[in-house]
Amino acid sequence: MTHLELDSVKKVFGDPEKEGVVAVNDLDIDVPDGDFLVLLGPSGCGKTTTLRMIGGLEDPTEGEVRFDGTVVNDVKARNRDVAMVFQDFALYPHMTVRENLGFGLRRENNDMTGTEIDERVTEVAEMLEIEELLNNKPAQLSGGQKQRVALGRAIIREPRLFLFDEPLANLDAKLRKTMRTEIDELQSEVGITSAYVTHNQEEAMTIADKIAILNDGELQQLGTPDQVFNEPANLFVAQFVGSPDMNLFQGALSERGDSYRIEMDAASFDIPKRLVDTEIDTDEVLVGFRPQDLYQARTRATNGPEFDTQVRVVEPVGTEAIVHGTSALGDVTAKVGRFHDLEPEDQMELTIAPEHVYLFDPTTESLLKGRLVTERAEGGTSADSVEA
Amino acid sequence: MATDNTDPTAEYRKNQSWLYDSKAGGYVRKTAIGLLTLVIGVFVLFPLYWMVVTAFKTTSEIQQIPPTVFPADPSLEGFRLVIESSIQAGGYAGLVSDLFGITVTSAIDINLLGLIVNSLKVAVGAGLIAVVLGTGASYVLSRREFRGKNLLMSLLLASLMFPGTAIMVPEWELISTLGLFNTHLALILIYGAMTSPFVVWLMKGFFDDFPDSIIEASQIDQCTPFETFWYVLVPMARNSLIASFIFAFLLAWNELVFALTLLDNSKFTVPPGLLTFVQGFNTQWNVVAAASIIVSIPVLAGLAYIQRYFVQGLTGGAIKG
Repeated sequence: MTHLELDSVKKVFGDPEKEGVVAVNDLDIDVPDGDFLVLLGPSGCGKTTTLRMIGGLEDPTEGEVRFDGTVVNDVKARNRDVAMVFQDFALYPHMTVRENLGFGLRRENNDMTGTEIDERVTEVAEMLEIEELLNNKPAQLSGGQKQRVALGRAIIREPRLFLFDEPLANLDAKLRKTMRTEIDELQSEVGITSAYVTHNQEEAMTIADKIAILNDGELQQLGTPDQVFNEPANLFVAQFVGSPDMNLFQGALSERGDSYRIEMDAASFDIPKRLVDTEIDTDEVLVGFRPQDLYQARTRATNGPEFDTQVRVVEPVGTEAIVHGTSALGDVTAKVGRFHDLEPEDQMELTIAPEHVYLFDPTTESLLKGRLVTERAEGGTSADSVEA
Repeated sequence: MATDNTDPTAEYRKNQSWLYDSKAGGYVRKTAIGLLTLVIGVFVLFPLYWMVVTAFKTTSEIQQIPPTVFPADPSLEGFRLVIESSIQAGGYAGLVSDLFGITVTSAIDINLLGLIVNSLKVAVGAGLIAVVLGTGASYVLSRREFRGKNLLMSLLLASLMFPGTAIMVPEWELISTLGLFNTHLALILIYGAMTSPFVVWLMKGFFDDFPDSIIEASQIDQCTPFETFWYVLVPMARNSLIASFIFAFLLAWNELVFALTLLDNSKFTVPPGLLTFVQGFNTQWNVVAAASIIVSIPVLAGLAYIQRYFVQGLTGGAIKG
């Protein structure tokens, strides 16, 4: 049970005075006891370095790492009482599964006898359903089984913190989904504060209590999955989170009474001022549409923009399809239902509700208006769109 | 374009060659490979064969011209002389005559068992020194960055290229100064020093390939650096350590020049000991061959037992996860 804090943590590889590489810069993260933090970002953004600094495998150049208010910068990894699951699992190849699981307990300075350790190993193996593998060596296990052993090695000790370094990256897609759910369940069950590194935004969204999105060593946003999806702090977060990628278009903005008028190349629409929290004082904006928020105008009417799109590719994904098309605004990606009659070259009309539109400042790239969930009424026009 | 009466599979046969795609060609290839293997085999094994055959010949047959390929009159004379000599020189003559009532007298005065024991002592000592020093050095050279590291590695490699005899005189002086002349410790130190660089290179290859994450996992599992080394690195390095040990062991077992010059008769190891059987024109080659066979047996038996580790260790730091 640990309250984890990172306070202005900075990591420079190489000589800080000369041309050191700044891997992590001025990072502040606060993870309350029992929370599941996901560090999300593209390759080389510093997320793994951050995790390794929490685990004590890397020393911060500046700043403090605190467990329950105690600065642990000088505490070595082996004394921090954390457990870590590595991307390549890092099982000891010369030990059986039983020995792998029990190794940490045997090295630990505890009063457990050999029998007690064996019992604990069996208990954990049953929990992870690997009890029949206990006498196998890691080389005889499949990827998923190795993953379970690696998890078992982490949970057997009931550590202060769980650290996961892209634990699912080496698994196939189906296994990744089941293991993701299992890790989530396991963590909620034992209630141990966890930090989890991934570059997969979908994984992050499903598993996290809080997501920290990093880019180039800088924290972009720290928030719940809903927050980073609906109110991304900036353009980077908006584009990194969510799949397929957000559509972005240039637009001109003007005030008109109690709404903002957005003019784009082929469409224009009004956004009531009530939907916008911030004061907008630019006249140029970047307009963002999530593919999920686009509808075919023939199926749903909105007060937002409508624009014609020529279908290029239809990618069915079950009940919906991802449609890539060309419109006067530019290339558009939409996730729509009723796609069976759509063929390449067809014309369709797309629309989006004003509540769902994102607006960004084109120079600072910061968010002006996010996606409002509560405003949306199912089945068509919302109360707002009537007055707009 | 294929017409009606051509074979429809002809398309797939365009690239065929007689040597690789016909039955006759297959036989030709197999025969050629077999012959080549045979030639190489004879080249490698004939000296060994000749040693064995010589051991079973009588002195007169050995001197016969032309020589016989098989002993016409197999005899264990050579073995008898070696064993008698060992019994007498080892001081067991009295014991043997008490137990079996056989009186042993021998013109030769060499105790083979004593030679083997001396050699084992020296070879095991040298092997241990090489493995312990070489492994420690290679771990540091592989895992730490420091100034002069490449120079050090090059020096170690260069030292392997030196013929041992080139540094004979300074070594001799050194041993003399240390007062280690005519001791087995002198040989252990010299052989250990000669083989350590090789062990460094071999083990460095292993440690270079060693995944960091396993070491980090052991740190997370609350291991001290020594525990990591002892419980994780050493067991995983087992094959490479065995290969290193065998290499150092064999070099020490086979080395002649230092042993001959630094020791006197009473402390000889196997190679100079065998040399004392060779006595100018009077050499009894069947005795030399028989002695050679006898001293090879313990080494062969040991190697047969651990050779799979040796091969795995030499073929690289294959760490299977």
